Amino acid sequence: MATLTMPAPARAGLRRSPRLRLEQVIMAAAVVSLIVLVVLPLLFLLVGSVRGEQGLSLEHFAEVLSGRLYISALQNSLILGAWTGLFSLVIGLLLAWAVSRTDVPGKALIKITATLSYLSPPFLTAIAFVYLFSPNAGVINVALRDVAGMPWLAFNIFSMTGLVLVTVLHTFPFVFLLASSALQSVDASYEEAAQILGASKLRTAVSITMPLVAPAVLSGTLLAFVNAIALFGSQAIIGLPGRVVTLPTRIYALFDYPPEYGLASALSLVFVIITVAALYLQRAFLARRSYVTLAGKGARPQLMELGALRWVLFGFAALVFLISIIAPYSTLLAVSFSKSWGLDFWKNLTLANYKFILFEYNVTQRAILNSLMLAIFAASIAVLLGAVIGWIDLRTRAPGRKLLDYASLIPLGLPGIVMAVALIQFWLAMPLALYGTLMILLLAYVGRYIPLGVRSANASLRQVDPSLEESAQILGASWTTTMREVTLPLIRPGLFAGWLLVFVPVIQELSASILLFSSSSITLAVAVFNLYETGYTEPVAALAMVNMAIIGVAIWLAYKVGGGGIATRGGREGAVA
Amino acid sequence: MAGITIKGLSKHYGARDADVAAVSDLDLDIKDNQFVTLLGPSGCGKTTTLRLIAGYIRPDRGTIHVDSRLVSSPDTVVPPDARHMGMVFQNYAVWPHKTVFENVVFGLKIRKVAASEARRKVEETLALVNLTGLAERYPGELSGGQQQRVALARSLVVEPEILLLDEPLSNLDAKLRERMRTELKVLQRRTGITFVYVTHDQSEALALSDMVAVIHGGRLQQYGTPFEVYSHPANRLVADFMGLVNLVPGTVIDAANGVGTVQAAAWRLKLPMPDGAVPGEAIEVAIRPENIRLAPANRRSGLVPATISDRTFLGSVSEYYAMLESGHVLRVQTHPLQRFAVGDTVAVEVDASQCSVFRRAPADATPVPPADGAAK
Repeated sequence: MATLTMPAPARAGLRRSPRLRLEQVIMAAAVVSLIVLVVLPLLFLLVGSVRGEQGLSLEHFAEVLSGRLYISALQNSLILGAWTGLFSLVIGLLLAWAVSRTDVPGKALIKITATLSYLSPPFLTAIAFVYLFSPNAGVINVALRDVAGMPWLAFNIFSMTGLVLVTVLHTFPFVFLLASSALQSVDASYEEAAQILGASKLRTAVSITMPLVAPAVLSGTLLAFVNAIALFGSQAIIGLPGRVVTLPTRIYALFDYPPEYGLASALSLVFVIITVAALYLQRAFLARRSYVTLAGKGARPQLMELGALRWVLFGFAALVFLISIIAPYSTLLAVSFSKSWGLDFWKNLTLANYKFILFEYNVTQRAILNSLMLAIFAASIAVLLGAVIGWIDLRTRAPGRKLLDYASLIPLGLPGIVMAVALIQFWLAMPLALYGTLMILLLAYVGRYIPLGVRSANASLRQVDPSLEESAQILGASWTTTMREVTLPLIRPGLFAGWLLVFVPVIQELSASILLFSSSSITLAVAVFNLYETGYTEPVAALAMVNMAIIGVAIWLAYKVGGGGIATRGGREGAVA
Repeated sequence: MAGITIKGLSKHYGARDADVAAVSDLDLDIKDNQFVTLLGPSGCGKTTTLRLIAGYIRPDRGTIHVDSRLVSSPDTVVPPDARHMGMVFQNYAVWPHKTVFENVVFGLKIRKVAASEARRKVEETLALVNLTGLAERYPGELSGGQQQRVALARSLVVEPEILLLDEPLSNLDAKLRERMRTELKVLQRRTGITFVYVTHDQSEALALSDMVAVIHGGRLQQYGTPFEVYSHPANRLVADFMGLVNLVPGTVIDAANGVGTVQAAAWRLKLPMPDGAVPGEAIEVAIRPENIRLAPANRRSGLVPATISDRTFLGSVSEYYAMLESGHVLRVQTHPLQRFAVGDTVAVEVDASQCSVFRRAPADATPVPPADGAAK
């Protein structure tokens, strides 16, 4: 709105209704929230990284860029990211191609594998693999050593190889989802045009199809990389015992007493730079993808007949399913019902672990309640904020609305643990004692997942032509009426999908929570992690199953109410874990 | 019912210094109970004008009055919801999550009309637009034409003083478009609502309107009845936009009191003259293809010889390209039974009363951009 400079009488008879104010208050509140949630903490992180003993100093950066501990953490993170990216590319692209372009059997299985792998909390997969492959007690290693007599086949999960294995299981879906949607949206006529000009199938694939989908595939690979290096849980559970220290675990260690805020901030910023650089490349690749989606609905991809080879491909898909879904979940299920985990666990089955974590141990009870509450609030707030920010961006001419949109995307570049470091610095400097409360966790979650809220709202709002709102307006509807009667009903499915998109990761959030929780504000994921660290092998598995059950119910709700689509959206948006 | 008075209306988009004027200095007087069309190629500013009238956008300069009420000025804009107007959008904007009944009743609910009264009105309006019996359907179950009628009914049920229509027929197929065109015209006559209708289709504008406002480059080029705009275009832009036209360069021989003689190709024509034309000045004569007659060549006086260079049979008319001895090619439409072969020499006769004279660009006050290709 332009400012009104005319004296009051000139406007006599014109309506200056109070609803404009309501509209403005809501929008202003959204802008302030975004600043408090994201912009200010980030500024405090910057300030913290350059504040030395006496005023400004680059000493922290000097140390993190020269100290052996930090350099090796940086190297390990990059190695982990590179290998994970590579394997995600190979597995994800192969499966995507199989599903969208071949006559491979069991396509539904492949899609389910990708979706479940994406939704599985990586630290639970990590714990499950420890139960199977820890050097001494892992049941498969024990079986190989003591039963089969083949100790040389034993696999030590506590290694970079183990870490890459566990991480890939979570990240290959990024490549899969982006690659399969790109492959499906390449209009068959592009390929038919090449073939009618005399190109062979292989030639067509190499010279037409591949260049068209390459941006999406590369973009998925970069998302896999970014997500892989940000996962605190698996890097702590698998990396630390194997002395593979990475950036998140090194930052975590800096908070051992006495906390090194300066170093943690500097290291966090180095981390952010890597993440942002990768995400920048990813966006650039994705932007080039536009000519694929242009083809739109006319797409009817050709399917390649593989003959006997299709069973080989199916075998590979089944193997991925076995390793990424069956192995971890059946292990956790088995452990959760065992009195004592080992080769002969089936001799002593019990429900005691569930009884313990659900009814006897007040820490886990509290953690479950806290997480449920936090997830419900965080998801609701993130989606509502997202809706307002999206609306401002798309429907108003407010100055700086694009800036607002960018600001809401910042958290994509912030690994969870970095978000926590930033929030700690900011809120310790504030007169409010938020540290250690549920409130700071809520702020962390809303801040981390606000991009998902904004993107879902944005995507849904784009589907709603402005004329639908305008036609309500010209019939005399106020802003609130228009929102209530037209806009919100139309974007409700999108908002609901967005709500679940936030709810699911919040229930399993560990990377930021691990630095922010206190004994009273403990969350589900932190409780799992702590129980695991203290050696409560069997109850951990029971708690993990409860965690999965909650996620399962949420996803079931998503398909029932939101009509699915959660996995695709999630894959495209690619929040940093 | 109400008339609309627009004075000096301007709207720029983007940075001020970039000076992308969507509408500049527009004056328009729309009388009560009229069907007025804003006609122009895409991007000419006609939709911006409509949205300014609706109150969705704020003008940079100028005012809009409805009757004597000021509704838009750079300082104050009465919001759309307080304007008592209706609007039909190009994409219909029928709410997909509401049934036909719910769509149409919406405005009545806002006005707090009692439920039984509202139901009666909705049913009446649906009957008016031939949608009886479809009240419980969802828009997704309707055809494009039916959705368009829902949009119309939704706007009409609240009995607006003014109905704004933004290319409402452009998404329909040709047959349906023609039928809806007739229905719209009947509806306007019957309801007496002032219709402001935006289109880029000149035949639609001619068929529907009491008055046509031809807009190009954000400026009003001509405002008149369909007949005036077609047969006496104010400038070559209007002439070009309103249909096919031949532009023959020529020179003024003499001019006095608004009439004069021009020499164009081999013709010497007595025509109405634009203001300020002086003898010797270079001008263009606009001749519509249907106002040229071809006759077998026998060199009678007043007839100019030409050679047929191409011909196209279009069904109801035949179109010929006739090359004059001066090298100019004229497009000519004749009765399909009058037949010539390519290469034939013919005599060309022009109806001077249906020709217009335009001064060449340098003399024009406003530089005129080339006519938009989408015009026809």
